[in-house]
Amino acid sequence: MTLIKTWFADLEVQDRAIIGSHVCPSDLSSVVARLQEEDYADFDKQYRGVFREMAIQSRFVNAEPEYVAILRAAAITRAKAQITRAFSQPDARITQLIDAIDDIDESINLLSERLAEWCGLEVEQVNQPSVVSAIAPGPSIRGPLAQELALSIGQLRELRQSIAGSIERKMHTTAPNVSNIAGELLGARLMARAGGLEALARMPSSKIQVMGASKALFKHLKYGSKPPKHGLIFQHPLVRGSLARNRGKIARAIASKIAIAARLDFYSKQTYPALMVQLERRISELQKPIRRDPL
Amino acid sequence: MYAKPHKIPGVYLVGKHLATRGAVAYGERAFGEYRLWDPRRSKLAALLKKEADIPLNSEQIVLYLGAASGTTVSHLADIVSLIYAVEFAPRATRDLIFIAEKRTNIIPLFSDASRPDYGHIVELVDLLYQDIAQKKQAEIAITNAEMFLKSKGYACIFIKARSIDVTAKPKAVYRSQVKKLEEVFDILRVHELGPFYRDHAAAIARLR
Repeated sequence: MTLIKTWFADLEVQDRAIIGSHVCPSDLSSVVARLQEEDYADFDKQYRGVFREMAIQSRFVNAEPEYVAILRAAAITRAKAQITRAFSQPDARITQLIDAIDDIDESINLLSERLAEWCGLEVEQVNQPSVVSAIAPGPSIRGPLAQELALSIGQLRELRQSIAGSIERKMHTTAPNVSNIAGELLGARLMARAGGLEALARMPSSKIQVMGASKALFKHLKYGSKPPKHGLIFQHPLVRGSLARNRGKIARAIASKIAIAARLDFYSKQTYPALMVQLERRISELQKPIRRDPL
Repeated sequence: MYAKPHKIPGVYLVGKHLATRGAVAYGERAFGEYRLWDPRRSKLAALLKKEADIPLNSEQIVLYLGAASGTTVSHLADIVSLIYAVEFAPRATRDLIFIAEKRTNIIPLFSDASRPDYGHIVELVDLLYQDIAQKKQAEIAITNAEMFLKSKGYACIFIKARSIDVTAKPKAVYRSQVKKLEEVFDILRVHELGPFYRDHAAAIARLR
């Protein structure tokens, strides 16, 4: 006698005949609930060839078309619930917000350029994009349309601020250690690129170090050019603000601490401030001038 | 527009374009009921364009690993009787569900094909169709074939050379993957998909 548990029934089978069964009610919510259960064990492949027959024999359904119709409806309902859950994970939200920031930045640049073009025609002094992006909507921008455009850009900039604020708050709760080492926005970007906090936690630090420099990395792997020193991590003030000759070492040190921080965040959920202290000590060591022995 | 039947039942030729018959699913061009099937968007269409002999018929039940947004799935659903469509990425699954709702013969499963947790749902299938970007493509095909493919059932497995090893020559990757697949399959044919897809090949195989 074999016990098999399928999506529509628990079945006791002997010599290819059903001798006992516990059948799931065939309404949508019961079937969906049953699909969610977790104690399914694997069984001999041959039984999968007779699912439909067994469903009819055990009176789960009367005919084959019904079998497919019920399974289809239940699978769609379940998949919908599953992706809703996947999308409501905090790291999925953070990814969305980071993408939104990138889109907004692109839009602000584009619109600022347009505004600069307009103003260049009307106001002689104001024709540099950087100048225009610095001005708030005011009397210096002539014409009602240009005024309105400047106002929209200002609003986009405010929106960007509030999104960044939201990311910072979310990062503090979901990934405090990563935020501490990398900063909230860079941490969020790394998480988004890795595909979530779990993915980042499973990543080797070498990969974290060059994430975002894939073009250079593959050039290195393929043609043997020099490997990249830093990817996204270049945005870290400690990397960007250092001398070029130290950046590789510093990027490596930061990446390894981020890897540890991500694992702390994902697996233990405790903050560990000592990590930052260690990093700072290591970096000050790296930044010391190399002492040459006197001849 | 005059549609000619293709040698595979369920597939048509509208002019020189491939097409299947059904309701528009993802914004593709259509002439009446005939939905054009773009070989640059669907590897199966590319394979048909390469005159490959693919074991497809209207009675088949298919296990489709790597369903993505359901572009190819929607066309395949016009050809075969039922598709179990497995996809792991939440974003792509959202589009897949949207298409599954417009058809009666697509069963969407939000699962990881490398760790099949759908053993209680999927029945024995006639065709295993796999198009996934994973390093362990061959191993995944073998695991799933051993669980779900009926004996002497067919498999259509796309080999993405770039997902397996970016530094190796694609042809060498195809060879090594085919060799792995030969553990449980008889390989009938291997087609390369250029110019539609670079560094992709398809292995048509049969379970021993």
